[in-house]
Amino acid sequence: MSQIHVDRLSKHYQVHEKEAGLAGSLRSFFARKYRTVKAVDEVSFDIQAGEMVGFLGPNGAGKTTTLKVLSGLLYPSSGVATVMGHVPNKRETAYLKQFTLVMGQKQQLMWDLPAVETFLVNQAIYEISQDDYDATLKELDQLLDLGPLMKKQVRKLSLGERMKCELAAAMLHRPKVLFLDEPTIGLDVTMQVRIRDFIEAYNQRHGATIILTSHYMADVTALCERIIVIDKGKIFYDGNFRELIERIAPYKIIKLQLAAPANSEQFAAYGKVESCNGTIVVLHVPRERATESAAQLLTQFKVNDVTFEDPPVEDIIRQVFEGNAKKR
Amino acid sequence: MLRKYPTLLRASWSLMLEFRGEILLWMMSSAISLVMLVVWLSVAEDNNNSVNGFNGNDFVTYFLSSWAIRNLTAVWASWEMDSNVREGKLSPMLLRPMNPVHWDISQNLAEKALRAAIVLPVVILVMLFGPGLNIDWSLANVLAFLVSIVGAWLILFWADYLMGLSAFWTSQANAVITTWYGIRLILSGMVAPLVMFPASLQTALLWLPFRYTNSFTVEIITGRMNGNDLWFGFALQAFWALFFFCIAQITWKIALRNYSAVGA
Repeated sequence: MSQIHVDRLSKHYQVHEKEAGLAGSLRSFFARKYRTVKAVDEVSFDIQAGEMVGFLGPNGAGKTTTLKVLSGLLYPSSGVATVMGHVPNKRETAYLKQFTLVMGQKQQLMWDLPAVETFLVNQAIYEISQDDYDATLKELDQLLDLGPLMKKQVRKLSLGERMKCELAAAMLHRPKVLFLDEPTIGLDVTMQVRIRDFIEAYNQRHGATIILTSHYMADVTALCERIIVIDKGKIFYDGNFRELIERIAPYKIIKLQLAAPANSEQFAAYGKVESCNGTIVVLHVPRERATESAAQLLTQFKVNDVTFEDPPVEDIIRQVFEGNAKKR
Repeated sequence: MLRKYPTLLRASWSLMLEFRGEILLWMMSSAISLVMLVVWLSVAEDNNNSVNGFNGNDFVTYFLSSWAIRNLTAVWASWEMDSNVREGKLSPMLLRPMNPVHWDISQNLAEKALRAAIVLPVVILVMLFGPGLNIDWSLANVLAFLVSIVGAWLILFWADYLMGLSAFWTSQANAVITTWYGIRLILSGMVAPLVMFPASLQTALLWLPFRYTNSFTVEIITGRMNGNDLWFGFALQAFWALFFFCIAQITWKIALRNYSAVGA
């Protein structure tokens, strides 16, 4: 049986609509208007133990709502969700002790005390034995390089430092399932890589199941083989990341810098000419012929420089949202 | 659960030490008792040093005790609840396998220890150098006093927590809490001894919770309570503590259901 099982899960909200201005607020005081928002709409998926899955989607797509249902913070409006055989919203202690939800924009660390105080409180709350606590903290210290950060007042830490401590606090009980909602939000590239490496290491060492949402494609491309693309509460794609890229963007981008100007017709045989302005040519060449085409180009033209690129993932995902790649 | 308390209390104590300046300011805000003392002293002076059986010393004793008890039973769980709910800080707390109320309780107890450290020296100083206080120091009476402080705290804590739960339904929980504070201030005897109130109100107050959050304890320590009245008082104090505890538990369950239904 899969570790996370979601079947036709829906979460609808009643949103109170308030008009602007004094007259508007008076009107809405006497006659409230409600609108139903389908934050999650008949979503189904299964995730096996040890899998790392990326949730992709624009703001308001339903990613966080799904994670909150799986964490037991929200009751589903309809459908089924189980994690490790537990129904999350029952909030059984046995379940709470086995997973964690890290929200990049929310924190559990006590703001006015050093992070280590929160660690100790969590040790007591999760009933972690002293030996396990010491061992886990040592490992987390190695992976995240916590060192002196633990003893500094949380409010005096930088955003990146705080995120490291936040992750450590969330991992002390060695959760088997991790829901990571934008764990790298607002962090610089170095820190993003650091957090990413940590997530990967944790997954490999402990075989933890991970669902990750992120606005940074790099997080997802680096970590997740499988992605679930969600928008307006519905799943648009669920499957292998590479396959998606190959299906939607079955080409490579070749950029040539020529020694002498050429015109675009000369390149038409190789693929789609994206742009050609004198000496700089950008081609979209079918993936399977990319190497061959490049070799021919290099012999046929005098080339100063050449680069190969995959199409930007952001473009691909945008195409998914624009409905060019509805799941067949 | 009890095994978790030493750690919670230790962390709460560190937290309260961070806030010690703020706590001192909050304590000053309870100085209304002392302001009322001055008011009543001048009333007493205009009435040949006797108002409803209270002379100047009685007033000093009354308001000093009232002030000390107020500080030893101060609660603020409702404000925490309000901000936790509105700002979404409750969600991370709900993910942990512990009812967040234990955190409120441990912080409150830690803060009580800190307040006691400030209140007791003041009381001792006044007893040593101030006017003769009319306090009944018999052992049984002091024991009754201590039990009634715990009882008062239990009523106040659970009632306050219950008011805080209104934050789940309204973004104006502040208004609910402030109204509750206002009513409580007057009816618990912190502004005037309850014997100054009209007789009918006094009778009603015998049955309502307010008296048992402050005045009752003052009446005990100032020796204004006889045996039967004492047991009656304890029975009502226990009743109201249990009442607010039970209602708060039920409301918390409903609130949580509501919270997870409409958005966390």
